Amino acid sequence: MRRVWVVVLKEWREALKGGKLLWVGTVALPVILLGISVYMMLSVGDLSALEDEDLKMVLHTLFSVFLLYFMLFPMIIPNAISVYAIMSEKEQKSLEPLLATPLQTWELFLAKVLSAVIPAVVITWATFGVFVLIVGQMLPAGLWEIVWRDFGIAALVTLVLFAPLASVFVTMTSMAIATRTSDARSAQLLSSFVVLPIALWALVSIYQNALLQPANLVGVSLLLLGLNIVLLKIAVRLFRREEILTRWR
Amino acid sequence: MATCAILAEELSRRFDGRLAVDRLSLAVYEGEVFGFLGPNGAGKTTTVRMLAGLIAPTSGRALIAGVDVVAEPQRVRSLVGVLTESPGLYEKLSVWQNLQFYADLYGLAPSTPQIERYLRLFDLWERRFDPVSALSKGMKQKLALARSLLHDPKVLFLDEPTAGLDPEAAKTVRDLIAALSQERRTIFLCTHNLHEAEQLCDRIGLIKQRLLKVGTPHQLKRELYGHQIVVDLKKPLESLDSQLNLPFVKGLRVEQTRLVIELENPQEQNPLLVRRLVELGAEIQFVREADRSLEDVYLQLVREESL
Repeated sequence: MRRVWVVVLKEWREALKGGKLLWVGTVALPVILLGISVYMMLSVGDLSALEDEDLKMVLHTLFSVFLLYFMLFPMIIPNAISVYAIMSEKEQKSLEPLLATPLQTWELFLAKVLSAVIPAVVITWATFGVFVLIVGQMLPAGLWEIVWRDFGIAALVTLVLFAPLASVFVTMTSMAIATRTSDARSAQLLSSFVVLPIALWALVSIYQNALLQPANLVGVSLLLLGLNIVLLKIAVRLFRREEILTRWR
Repeated sequence: MATCAILAEELSRRFDGRLAVDRLSLAVYEGEVFGFLGPNGAGKTTTVRMLAGLIAPTSGRALIAGVDVVAEPQRVRSLVGVLTESPGLYEKLSVWQNLQFYADLYGLAPSTPQIERYLRLFDLWERRFDPVSALSKGMKQKLALARSLLHDPKVLFLDEPTAGLDPEAAKTVRDLIAALSQERRTIFLCTHNLHEAEQLCDRIGLIKQRLLKVGTPHQLKRELYGHQIVVDLKKPLESLDSQLNLPFVKGLRVEQTRLVIELENPQEQNPLLVRRLVELGAEIQFVREADRSLEDVYLQLVREESL
């Protein structure tokens, strides 16, 4: 694992010196979405003045949208990093010298996945932490307990189960696309479509008032797990040394 | 007896049915600079990739410092240094960060003295904090060479190390290669630059899918052109063709005052030839072995192979 972390650290060093797209994905997006959340909280007015039924409906709608944000973070953030991780190696022609070291191809693959997934999950969790602090301050006394009771499990399933699995899914798909694409822009564009089916499912779930149901979230997480296993098999083929040296153009 | 640093036996490689390298057998000895010449697509890079443990051969076997490239490719990769055709550096990282990354991959500890040593050797010490993108092409090539040497490899594979460099940078790299050969490292040098190969290499192998010839530059030239001598005269001789009349003369070309003569055995026959020419009234200025370049040898062998 030592070599895996060496590559992960190199990826992060490179990513930190990367383009605007990376900063938009990793820093600006969470800040913007937190801003929107605060604006939404402010725009609903005084929650303590609402009747029980109305309050329940408002909170459900609000937290469905908030949860959607935390589902999108782990999918949007690794997209930029993972595409960059492959495309920069291709553009700089740095793969051959890298593969000429004792680094094994599974180590390279794991490093590329981890370098995208770890920031995505950490940023999602950190943003959630900030979100809890801000919203906790904004909610009237006693309401936080109700919110936590009604939506806490859904939030935990999203953060602990869905976020890492969705992040791995998007990372592996983006990497597979990037191995077959010759420029970063088209790789970025193509891999952004990967997020669409999941985002669509989340929107439909919001419409059906089903997004905050833990069973629903566990179900889609299991589906992602299955897809990740299929993707891993594809990635094992794509990350063969000979494949990288002769077909990654 | 010299130790074998690279040994290839019947090494072949196919890509989707296309034969890239055909039954290559070769021995390169410790401390030797071995030039590997061939036209584009001749299989040079594929051979290097097989020998360096990057890709597996379809058949045959190869040993690097006694380690099998198929059975232990990872160990082979820790024994060799590879300079690929393009430097393949991380442009956004600094010179130091690039070397540090590779030092960490090879598990060098402590790596700082080794990195410093090569940065100073290659005159890159002052630029160590600069991003690689700010370096000239020659500097990048030197940095890539430093990277391939960092872990002190026994065998060094250099693929076109001076390609695309200006004459000054190319000379610097050539001088470095010469200096490395003094350290008894085995160097496997792929190049299109025949003058460079002649200058640097102890032996040369010519490849076009299969290995056409191996020998020292001198041996290769002798083998193909070694029986030719050149005689420079003070003034031209009339109708020499008909008068020379020596049975061992296999060919004669007259270029005004210069005669290019092909003999069976120049060492034995030169005195007889000179005596005969003097008898015919020739005023001889110089007699020497025909000066053929490696380029002539290369072109002839590649041409023969194409026929």
